[in-house]
Amino acid sequence: MARVELRHLSRRFSGVQALADVDLAVESGEFFTLLGPSGCGKTTLLRTVAGFVRQDAGEVWIGGRRVDDVPVWKRDIGLVFQDYAIFPHMSVGDNVAFGLANRRRPRQEAAERVARALELVRLPGLAARMPHQLSGGQQQRVGLARAIVIEPKVLLMDEPLSNLDAKLRIEMRDDIRDLQHALGITTLYVTHDQEEALVLSDRICVMQSGRVHQVGTPWEVYDRPATLFVASFVGAMNVIADVPVAPGGQVALGASPRALPALAGRDRVTLAIRLEDMAVAGPGAAASPDALVVEGAVEKVSFAGREAFYRLRLDSGAELAAHVHRPERRTLASPGARLALALPVARLHLFDPATGVRIDGAA
Amino acid sequence: MRRGVDFWTFVLVAAFAVIAVLLAWPLLGVFEASVTDNRTGALTFANFAQVLGQPAYRTALLNSLLVGAGGMAGAMLLGIPLAVLTTRYVIFGRDALATFAVLALVSPPFIGAYAWIMMLGANGWMRAFLADLGIGLPPIYGFFGILLVFSLKFYPFVFLLTASGLRAISPSVEEAAESLGAGPWRRFFKVTLPLVFPAVTSGALLAFVLSIADFGTPSIVGGKVRLLATTAYNLYTSEMGGNPGLASATSVVLIAVCLAVVAVQRWAVRRREVAGSLVRRPQPVRLSPLASAAAHAVCYAIVLAGSLPSLVVIWTSFRKTRGPVFHPGYGLDSYTKIVGEVPHVIANSFTYSVAAVLLIVVLGTLVGYVLARRETKATGLLDSLLLVPYIVPGVVMGLAFVVTFNVPPLQITGTAAIIVLMLFVRRLPYAVRSAASILKQIKGGIEEAALSLGAPPGRAFAKVTLPLMLPGVVAGALMSFITAINELSSSLILYVGRTMTMPVRIYLSVLDGEFGTASALSTILLAASGLAVFVVLRISDRKEGEFV
Repeated sequence: MARVELRHLSRRFSGVQALADVDLAVESGEFFTLLGPSGCGKTTLLRTVAGFVRQDAGEVWIGGRRVDDVPVWKRDIGLVFQDYAIFPHMSVGDNVAFGLANRRRPRQEAAERVARALELVRLPGLAARMPHQLSGGQQQRVGLARAIVIEPKVLLMDEPLSNLDAKLRIEMRDDIRDLQHALGITTLYVTHDQEEALVLSDRICVMQSGRVHQVGTPWEVYDRPATLFVASFVGAMNVIADVPVAPGGQVALGASPRALPALAGRDRVTLAIRLEDMAVAGPGAAASPDALVVEGAVEKVSFAGREAFYRLRLDSGAELAAHVHRPERRTLASPGARLALALPVARLHLFDPATGVRIDGAA
Repeated sequence: MRRGVDFWTFVLVAAFAVIAVLLAWPLLGVFEASVTDNRTGALTFANFAQVLGQPAYRTALLNSLLVGAGGMAGAMLLGIPLAVLTTRYVIFGRDALATFAVLALVSPPFIGAYAWIMMLGANGWMRAFLADLGIGLPPIYGFFGILLVFSLKFYPFVFLLTASGLRAISPSVEEAAESLGAGPWRRFFKVTLPLVFPAVTSGALLAFVLSIADFGTPSIVGGKVRLLATTAYNLYTSEMGGNPGLASATSVVLIAVCLAVVAVQRWAVRRREVAGSLVRRPQPVRLSPLASAAAHAVCYAIVLAGSLPSLVVIWTSFRKTRGPVFHPGYGLDSYTKIVGEVPHVIANSFTYSVAAVLLIVVLGTLVGYVLARRETKATGLLDSLLLVPYIVPGVVMGLAFVVTFNVPPLQITGTAAIIVLMLFVRRLPYAVRSAASILKQIKGGIEEAALSLGAPPGRAFAKVTLPLMLPGVVAGALMSFITAINELSSSLILYVGRTMTMPVRIYLSVLDGEFGTASALSTILLAASGLAVFVVLRISDRKEGEFV
């Protein structure tokens, strides 16, 4: 258990900036997730902490010790791989005991710890099995047991669930979360799956092109995205790009312009709103000061019982998708019909069209 | 991790040194000799003009191409039906058939050549037997003999590669074709065959290039048919003050032909896919009794014909002999004779092969590791250079070694070392390839897992990588042993009395008509090769796929 500090890390791979001045800290016992699309640098960052990648600039600190010159095998880390990386020629027990053997633990103690670790990952009594006798999910549990049995300072997990099928993934996800809570082990987790990140993490770091876009709790990342990239990568989001702003912060969208104080002095803004944050506007909604009302032609409706999906083409040409909870019958307009949607001002996300950075004071 | 000079750097340096001394230097010597006037030492293209211009040499080139194409066609004619029948239909003894095909593959081609002479040559017993039945056949010397031997020798390449290709086709694909209205024939030609095409091509072109490069078969059974390989050899042996320039020019043309064929092969198989994990495996279909009987007859006939030479040789070796003459009855006369007369030849074969294999395994495994785990400009260059031995026929390598190592600074002709080094450099690339491909199957993550669990690199290699590589390395070593102990063409050029090996002795015995001696020695070779095959089949996951 240890605090992990990454100080101004940079790394280039043959012209590509894999890490650009990444500066963050993972608190002791925290479940910290690196989230981003493939090629965003999250795996490079994890492998830098592990010691497989050497940074061009910056420092890695684990537990108050600078580890840049410490080789992988002396860093005291637990690593869980996407493809399990189980040693195929060793039994489950020998796999889990491998790290203890490297640490020269007495045989008796090692056996006990292996048994306990296998219980923790819910594979009790399978120590004698060979890896090829296990399913993918079981193999990944062995990988997890192998990594935690050495009680590492930090547990590093590189997309450990992405090779598993959907049902297993959710089951395993919950187990990982419980295990991490029970052991209180500092965990750095890499994934491209935003739902996985939201469910598992204490904090999430969203990355793109080697840059950190935002570090925050799952709620912050979802509800206060720091950049347009975060807004559209985490959860589904409508983006209406480059909307003109009239003097006084008036947003000219739809029939009823609203003045947004945060936009005073700007001439353009990019608006974003979550699919589930809109409502079908009733008569008189246009008068409400709390919402922007937009109107357009329905292109598609799908009714799914608990909710309905709409795709709307606004008169300005922009497209809007909405996700309406418990839809009323009258709102299930057929394609081609006109429909008005209310966009609550409090739920609008505003971004600078040039930099993509969040404009605060919107809510 | 940032990498400076480490152990693997030295491995790379050693590999480049080996290539420079044992490959580049001798081959450049051949190229130099091919454009040098024998007497004046001046630069000349007269040798090439002669090789490409004179009818005798042009005929040799044309014959070589014909033999290559014929050997390839024959191998396909036998290999494809065998592959289709054994993978698609229930054939009893399928595994045994595959094993016998592998045994036919690893037996030296010149054994096939002289076994067929014993059967269908001028005094062949089978020919005499058929003549008694009223079926008169001409002796097989010439094109027919060469093609017969090559077809039966190289069909296993086509068979094994095609069969593994067929097994990798999902039954759903063929069922989809049927559901869309394609009948069995249309389905086979429009769907199945195109899918296995890369595998078939791969095997077929292998047969082509080996047919062109082989020297023993045409010189034993070829009669008066002149080929590039035999021409180069004859120009060299009648040399001794004769015509090294012309022999070298012929060699260069031979290399060029092989290079072209290998280039076509690599181009044709560039899209060859790795067999994925199929959801469903193709299930062999049970045929109607009549069709099944016919299918069994075809399969067993092909494999039996391919194994016949080996069986005949083994049988011959136990016949009673006095001098070169066979007598009725059986005995160990031939074995007594070889143990008494040429024990050093048997010992040489084993010593040289084992020495070469040890060198090959050590350097091959290390270089394979570097090629698989480090991708740099240097390893890329090394990978390309290691293709060279694939395309240089043994005759040419032998000539190149003699030309280069007959004079200081490295004068080693007539020693055992030159033969061991020849075997070493010719087979090194195969070991490198096999080690690299094994390593590519071992995911890099496994080594990283070991490191992350606190094992230093040396321990990670010893505890994790090496045990995983071992079966593949041992299989590769045995394959190298098989090819080393059966090597004829280059040894024939490099041997002196003291350093004679079994294949050379067999070749000379056959030319002298001493079939008993040849059979006994051949049987020892077959037994050694067969034992190695048995062990490979035991330890390898890929089974007979290991041999192609």
